[in-house]
Amino acid sequence: MTYEKTRLSGFDTMLEKRGVSRRRFLEFCGALAVTLGLSEAMVPSIKQAIADTAIGKASGALTPVIWLELASCTGCTESFAQVDTPDVATVVLELISLNYSETLSAGAGFSLEEAKEETIQNGGYITVIEGALMEGWDGNALRIANEKGTEIVLHAASNTAAIICAGSCAVDGGWQAAVPNPGGATGIEPFLKAELAAGNFTYTGGEGDLPPIINVPSCPANPEHLVAVIVDVLLLGRVPQLNEYNMPSLIFGEYIHDNCPRRGHFENGEFVYQFGSEQEKLGYCLYPMGCKGPQTKSNCPIVRWNRRVSWCVESGAPCAGCAQANPEKAGFNWVDLNTPFLKRFKNLRIGDIVFQPATLAAAVGGIVVIALVAHGFGMKATGRTKGGAPFELERAWDRKHPDQATGAAEAAAEAARVQGLPLPDDEQAGGADNLSTEDDVPTSADEGPASVDDVSTSTDDAPTNENSAENDAPTTETTAENEAPAEGGEE
Amino acid sequence: MAHLAHYREAHPLPFIITHWVNLICMVLLAFTGFYIHYPFFGGFMGIARGVHIFCAFVILANLVFRVVAAFFIKSAPTGGTREVDYDWKAFAPQKDNRHQLGAWIKYYLFMSKTHPLGGKYGVPQKLAYLAIPFLLIIVAFTGFCIWAPTSAVGPFGAFNHLVGGVVVTRIVHYFMMWVFILFTMLHGYLALIEGLAPAKLMFGRKEHGGLVYDTKAHNIVGEDDLHSQGSAD
Repeated sequence: MTYEKTRLSGFDTMLEKRGVSRRRFLEFCGALAVTLGLSEAMVPSIKQAIADTAIGKASGALTPVIWLELASCTGCTESFAQVDTPDVATVVLELISLNYSETLSAGAGFSLEEAKEETIQNGGYITVIEGALMEGWDGNALRIANEKGTEIVLHAASNTAAIICAGSCAVDGGWQAAVPNPGGATGIEPFLKAELAAGNFTYTGGEGDLPPIINVPSCPANPEHLVAVIVDVLLLGRVPQLNEYNMPSLIFGEYIHDNCPRRGHFENGEFVYQFGSEQEKLGYCLYPMGCKGPQTKSNCPIVRWNRRVSWCVESGAPCAGCAQANPEKAGFNWVDLNTPFLKRFKNLRIGDIVFQPATLAAAVGGIVVIALVAHGFGMKATGRTKGGAPFELERAWDRKHPDQATGAAEAAAEAARVQGLPLPDDEQAGGADNLSTEDDVPTSADEGPASVDDVSTSTDDAPTNENSAENDAPTTETTAENEAPAEGGEE
Repeated sequence: MAHLAHYREAHPLPFIITHWVNLICMVLLAFTGFYIHYPFFGGFMGIARGVHIFCAFVILANLVFRVVAAFFIKSAPTGGTREVDYDWKAFAPQKDNRHQLGAWIKYYLFMSKTHPLGGKYGVPQKLAYLAIPFLLIIVAFTGFCIWAPTSAVGPFGAFNHLVGGVVVTRIVHYFMMWVFILFTMLHGYLALIEGLAPAKLMFGRKEHGGLVYDTKAHNIVGEDDLHSQGSAD
C-alpha cells in the first residue's frame, strides 16, 4: 500500500503540473467508469491504470497508436484535439504514443511515413482510422504519400492489435457514401470483410481472421467516446462490450430520445413547429422539425459535447442522426437514412426519383378514392345501388360443365322463377329438360302467394329439387333422380 | 329486391361486437398513428401514444378471440339462409364459391349484368378477409419493432437489423397503416354501394327481407319479405 501511495503521489505531481486537481481527476475517472459501463468500484482500477501508464510514460513504454486519416474533413481530429484549458482528458491522450498522425504529428513527409512503417513492423499498435475509404477508380480516388488508401488500410490492419473507427465515415462511409457516391466511399469493416472474403487480406497481429474492430460513429466522433474507448482498450486491456454493429453497447445502446432533456415537452405535446417561434424560445420538443433522436442510439444527452458543455438538441438543433451507421449494409449511412433532416421521414428513392413515403401513400390513396367514386357512378348508372344487379341464374362455369355443376339445374330454374327473370338463351339450347322447366315459369310466377308458401316449405329443409320435381314434368323428375346421389356424395 | 335476405344468423352477436371493436380500434390507431408521425396540433402526444399502444393490444386480443371463436360459434355459411354451421367454414373454400372468381371480377368491372352466386363472402371478399389476420400480425410486429420497450427484443430486434434499422421499419409500419386504410375504403364502399341493408345488419342487427338461398341446392330458391314469413311461423 505504501508503494502504491508513493506512485500515486508521483502521479499527483504530474497532474498538478498540468493544473488538474486530484479531485477533478477522480471525477474524471468516475465519469469514465460510467461511460464504459463499469461500476463505481472500478474507479480505483481506472485511476491505477492511468497512473501506471503515466509512470510508464516516464520510462518510455507507451502503446503506439497510428492515426490514419483517409477521406475526411478532419473534423474528428479537430473534435479530438480541441483543448481550451488543460483538461484531464488530455492527460489520458498523452498516455499514448501517437506515432503517426498527419495533422497532429510534428514531423511530416518521408520520415513520418518511415515511423509508421516501423510501427507496423513492430506490431502491438492500435490503429485509429478517421474518414472514409475510397474504392472508386480502382482505389485511386484516395492516394496518400503516393499510395492507394486501400493498400494503406490493408497494410496497417494486417499487424494491428485493434482498429478503432473514429467517426461515421470510417464506420460505413458516412456522408461521403451518400448517393451518388462517385468515389466509392466505404467503411473499414465492410472493406476488410470483403477483402478477407476475396482472399486479399491476412491478419498477423493476433488471433482470428480480422483484428478487433471498434466502431465509434457520430459526425464528428465525440472525444469523450474516443477517450473512453481508448482507456478501455489501452489501459484496461480489453475490447468493450460491442453491439451487433461492433459499436460499444453502453455508448450506443439507448435512443437519444429516451434521455433527452426535452422529452417532457414531447410527452406533453409541446412542440416547435417553426424556428424563431415562441415555442422554440420556450425550449419545446423539436420532433416536428425532423429531430432524429427517437431513432438514433447514442448517449449524447448524458455525455454531451464540447467538454460536456452542451449538445445539439440542448443547443436548439434537431438531432440529425449522425450516430446512425451500418457497417453491414451499403446505402444505410446516416445521411441517406436521415435526409431531409427537417422532415420526419427519410426520402425514398427509385432510380433518380426521390419522394417522401407519405406522398406516395397519399397518391395511392387518392387514386383509390377517384377509382371508387368513378365505380360508384358506374354502379348508379347500371342501377345496382339498390340491392345490386339481379343474381345470375346459374354459375357461368356450371353452364359450361353441366355434368360437374355446383347447383342443380332445377335450382337455376327456380331462381329464375323467383326473380321473375327469363332463362338465358344458351340454357334453352341446353336440352329438353330446361325447356320444359321454362314452361313452368309463367305459371308459378302468376301464383304470387303460392311462391311464398313454396319458400317456407323449402326453408323447412325440404330439398328444392324435390320440390320442383313434384311440380314438374316427368322429364325433370328423372333429372332430379339422377342428381340426387351426386348431391348426397357432396355433403 | 335483388339482394339476398339479411338474417342475423349471418353475423351472430359476438362477431358484431368484434367487428365494432375492430372498427373503433382501427380508427383510433390510424388517427393516433398519424398524430405520432407528425403532431399536427399540440398537447396530445402522451395521450396519443397511450391510446395507440392500448388499442394495439385490444385489437390483437380481439383478433385472437375472433379466430378462436370461429371454431366454436355457428353462423350462416351463405347469405339468405337461417341455417348455421361452424363459422370457420364461411372462411374455408365453399362449394358455393367454386369457379366464381372470374365472375366476381367481371361483375365489378361491369362486364357482366348479373350478380354472381356465392357463399356469405364472395371470392375476392373472402381472400381480403383472410388476409386481414396476417396483415394485422405484420402491422403489430412492425409496431413492436419501433416501440422502445420491445424494439431490441428477439425477433423485433432481428427484424430491425434485417431491414437496416428502425428508420426503415417505421416506414414499413406507416405503409401497413395505409394498407388498412385502403382496405377500409374498399370494404366500406363495397358494403354500402348496393344499399344499406348489410351495414344495418352488421352494426345494428336489423334484419332485411330478400331472396332466399338454399345451401344444398347452392342457388336462390325463393323470397322472404320477413313479414309473410312471420305469419307463416
